[in-house]
Amino acid sequence: MVCLPLNRGLLTPAEIKMKKTTLLALAGLSAASLLQAEQLDVEKDSLKFGFIKLTDCAPIVIAKEKGFFEAEGLSVEVIAQPNWKQLLDNVITGELDGAHMLSGQPIAATIGFGTKAHIVTPYTLDLNGNGITVSNEIWEGMQENDEKLQSDTPPHPITADSLKPIVDAAKDSGKKLPMGMVFPVSTHNYEIRYWLAAANINPGMYTSTDLKGFTGGDIELSTTPPPQMPATLESGKNVAYCVGEPWNQQAVAKGIGVPVVTNYDIWKNNPEKVFGVTKEWADENPNTLIAVTKALIKAGKWLDASEDGKLINREEACRILSQKNYVGADFDIIKNSMTGYFYFQKTDKREMPDFNVFFKYKASYPYYSDGVWFLTQMRRWGQITEPKPAEWYAETAKSVYLPDVYMKAAKMLIAEGSLTADEVPADDFDGYKPATSDFIDGISYDGKKPLEYLKSHKIGNKE
Amino acid sequence: MADTPKDKIKYGLLKFIDLSGFKVFDPPVRLAFGEDPKKQISEIGKFMILPIIFVSLCIFIWSAVAPTHKTKSGAAPTPKQVWGAWEDNSRFGEREDEKLEDYELSGEARTARITEVESRISELEAESLKLEEASTIAAEKGAAITAKQIAPLSAQLDELKAEIKTAKASRKIALENLAAKVAAGESPASSVLTLVQQQSETAEAEKEKRKILDDQIKEIRDNPPESIKAAQLAANKAADEIQHFKKRLDILNTSNKEVKKAALLAKVDTDEAILAASTDPSEIISKSKSIVTNTENAASVDEQRFAPTATIAWQTKRSLATVFVGFLIAAIVAIPVGIMCGLNKIVMACLTPIISIFRPVSPVVWLLIFQIVVGAFFLPDPAKHPLFTTLNQDYWFGWIKNPIAFLNTNPAMIFSACTVAMCALWPALVNTALGVSAIDKDHLNVARVLKLGFWARLFKIVIPSSLPLVFAGLRISLGVGWMVLIAAEALSSSDGLGKFVWDEYQNGSSQSFANIILACFIVGIIGFFLDRIMIILQRLVSFDDGSSTA
Repeated sequence: MVCLPLNRGLLTPAEIKMKKTTLLALAGLSAASLLQAEQLDVEKDSLKFGFIKLTDCAPIVIAKEKGFFEAEGLSVEVIAQPNWKQLLDNVITGELDGAHMLSGQPIAATIGFGTKAHIVTPYTLDLNGNGITVSNEIWEGMQENDEKLQSDTPPHPITADSLKPIVDAAKDSGKKLPMGMVFPVSTHNYEIRYWLAAANINPGMYTSTDLKGFTGGDIELSTTPPPQMPATLESGKNVAYCVGEPWNQQAVAKGIGVPVVTNYDIWKNNPEKVFGVTKEWADENPNTLIAVTKALIKAGKWLDASEDGKLINREEACRILSQKNYVGADFDIIKNSMTGYFYFQKTDKREMPDFNVFFKYKASYPYYSDGVWFLTQMRRWGQITEPKPAEWYAETAKSVYLPDVYMKAAKMLIAEGSLTADEVPADDFDGYKPATSDFIDGISYDGKKPLEYLKSHKIGNKE
Repeated sequence: MADTPKDKIKYGLLKFIDLSGFKVFDPPVRLAFGEDPKKQISEIGKFMILPIIFVSLCIFIWSAVAPTHKTKSGAAPTPKQVWGAWEDNSRFGEREDEKLEDYELSGEARTARITEVESRISELEAESLKLEEASTIAAEKGAAITAKQIAPLSAQLDELKAEIKTAKASRKIALENLAAKVAAGESPASSVLTLVQQQSETAEAEKEKRKILDDQIKEIRDNPPESIKAAQLAANKAADEIQHFKKRLDILNTSNKEVKKAALLAKVDTDEAILAASTDPSEIISKSKSIVTNTENAASVDEQRFAPTATIAWQTKRSLATVFVGFLIAAIVAIPVGIMCGLNKIVMACLTPIISIFRPVSPVVWLLIFQIVVGAFFLPDPAKHPLFTTLNQDYWFGWIKNPIAFLNTNPAMIFSACTVAMCALWPALVNTALGVSAIDKDHLNVARVLKLGFWARLFKIVIPSSLPLVFAGLRISLGVGWMVLIAAEALSSSDGLGKFVWDEYQNGSSQSFANIILACFIVGIIGFFLDRIMIILQRLVSFDDGSSTA
């Protein structure tokens, strides 16, 4: 007999009964976890997700490896992408169903900075997780300018104040210090700019004709793919860079640079990566999107599970991430930052329990206020060339972030008993985090008042 | 000499050796058949033993030099490490196969496998514990050694720091004193300038001294004893294996095909029971919905494929498929066009500018162009384009098993194949044109005398007599195509050996360098065999080389 693949819904009731009797014996304890999950009627069950080799792709990888996708009836392939641009292009062309994206990417794509496409996100993958590393030479210079840094364990956070004289000296001799970030609309770009600008160093502005963002800058900040960061630091192509893990720890391990500050110090618990799909895909596959979100929430929760303040699953997560088809860096390097510590120098290991936050603090909810913050940064540095009204900020954020999908997924998980109601925002939550001044320069940010926020900075567009 | 059966075998073998171009094996065969032993032994010595010694020497030099050549990702890998990388990659592939097998397993076999895996886990855990301990001890020892090495230096550094501090203070006083004297008119103003200059020079010298010490300390810290790393890697490897077996257990217990289906059907069963007894309308609706969904999902479990992971074996197959398609396109375009160029001077004149301009263009440029130009055909949704749905179907027309479904063809693969075709086109084209235009005039005259038509002339005279050069061109094309492919795959991230290399570069792990060199050998060896195949084909069609085609 020719073996035909079974089509959906072609089982006759008699067949089902027959299969049930033969298979029922199997469905004992072992299948308990599957029984719990209420599977959705997904539109598409074989999916391809893309990621970049950074530790914050963890929720996607964990959802696959720990079987959370499978529990939703999804068979997911997770494929490494060479760079952020190609990743976005692959999502737009449909080659990938969804991907690990920089928070700024869906927003920039939607408003048409760079490739234009309507991208939406129902899930924030993580908070924090980046660092700024400077070369050994610059670090020595900074130590000379600031006595306090001349120690194996200097006081943190380190501001760019001690960097300012070096930048000025270089500028006087006709040279702008070259620095690296990973993508024009990446969190890294905004973070290093924020850090520099907080110490009165102008990182340069984007204009309608200058898409590199060099105009009027004291330094030159350009794009470098994350894995090449340490190499550029060593070759002198960059003297500092802002990047995610494991590339800061890599610099410490190889002794070619010193991470001076993490983005946790620049802005406590800032949103980092999101899970993005095209609007079209989300409209065509609403149930699949909810199922994916469910699996991701479970993965996030698994990653942040702790006992007595110790993260219990992180070691296993590092083990999985160090596989060559995922992040592929050495286990020890990944472990350095993911298990609650961060090495600033070989001699300076600090506890940083919140260096990677995947779920706690209701982190994975897609907040409108996060979208607005990225929009304000795009305006501040001139990527958005025209001043916009406050309503535009709110509307744009609302067209990209999908808290409804997140809440639907969360409710189902609560009903299944794998989540509690206090782990996600309440039903009547409006999607805006309360105003905060947890920034390195202490300036307060309120997502509902983007225009006031723009005015409060010294450097950059003020409206 | 009459052909005895033995001779037949001998000459058969020799002919094959000659055909495949493995001339080195000629003397051993002759020796085995007892032909002029002295001469054969000397040939073997010259053309087999010496090359083997030379290659061994190269490997020896490599192993000796590699550990001393430090790079940013550690020392350069030795042959042993590259071999280790090969073993790790094979293990990685095996793991995927094991997972797939576990996913498909059912009934008794599954339960048996579970016990097997469980016992293996406990074995591994005991082993891992030991290694973990060894690693901790090694780390402690290593740290102690490093600390011991650093201690005197750091004491020296502290001393120096104190010295510098006092020197700085005394310099400051000296300068102030001098300034006071100048102010009082006791010294000339220029003396202050000299002193400031002197002092800045001494400060500079002090800084230098400090830097030397700093660097020494840093050097020691950056190069901890090798034993730490080795112990750590061993422990890591064991832990990785445990991780894998735990994943297998997970698959066997929960995500196995049969288990998944049983669970869903069991759920349908309970729901049916609830439905039958239910009096609550909203529950009736929700349960009915859930029954339908779960029944459907249970049915679709059968067609669900275990999501694959790229292994080096699969990537190699994909690369071969890509280069084959690209080469085929190149041949299909190059041979007819080349023949036309060879036959007609005007066609040649028309095409020469195009050939000369495009031939030197880099594959990278072609890839980017094809991504746009060919990509346009796959819009709006490449995943649903008939080309890919057809190529990736499990069954054609519902019953022919698709042999290339496993390749998972996608636009990136097509772009890479097009790039290969574009770069492989030129040698074949130019050689074909050359072959056709160099046909013996006598042959063409014969055709004229016989009044052969165009097609008869083409197939009876032109093609047969130009074939050797055509194949020589195709051989070069295949070589170029294979070389170009790796770059194209790396850039387009089409799964294959090129992506393997690129991913390893991005991984930046301690294994990456060894893996890249491994890929280098795989590419080289496959390229070698592809070339051999082309040589055989080339010899088979050659008329002029009497020795190879009797």
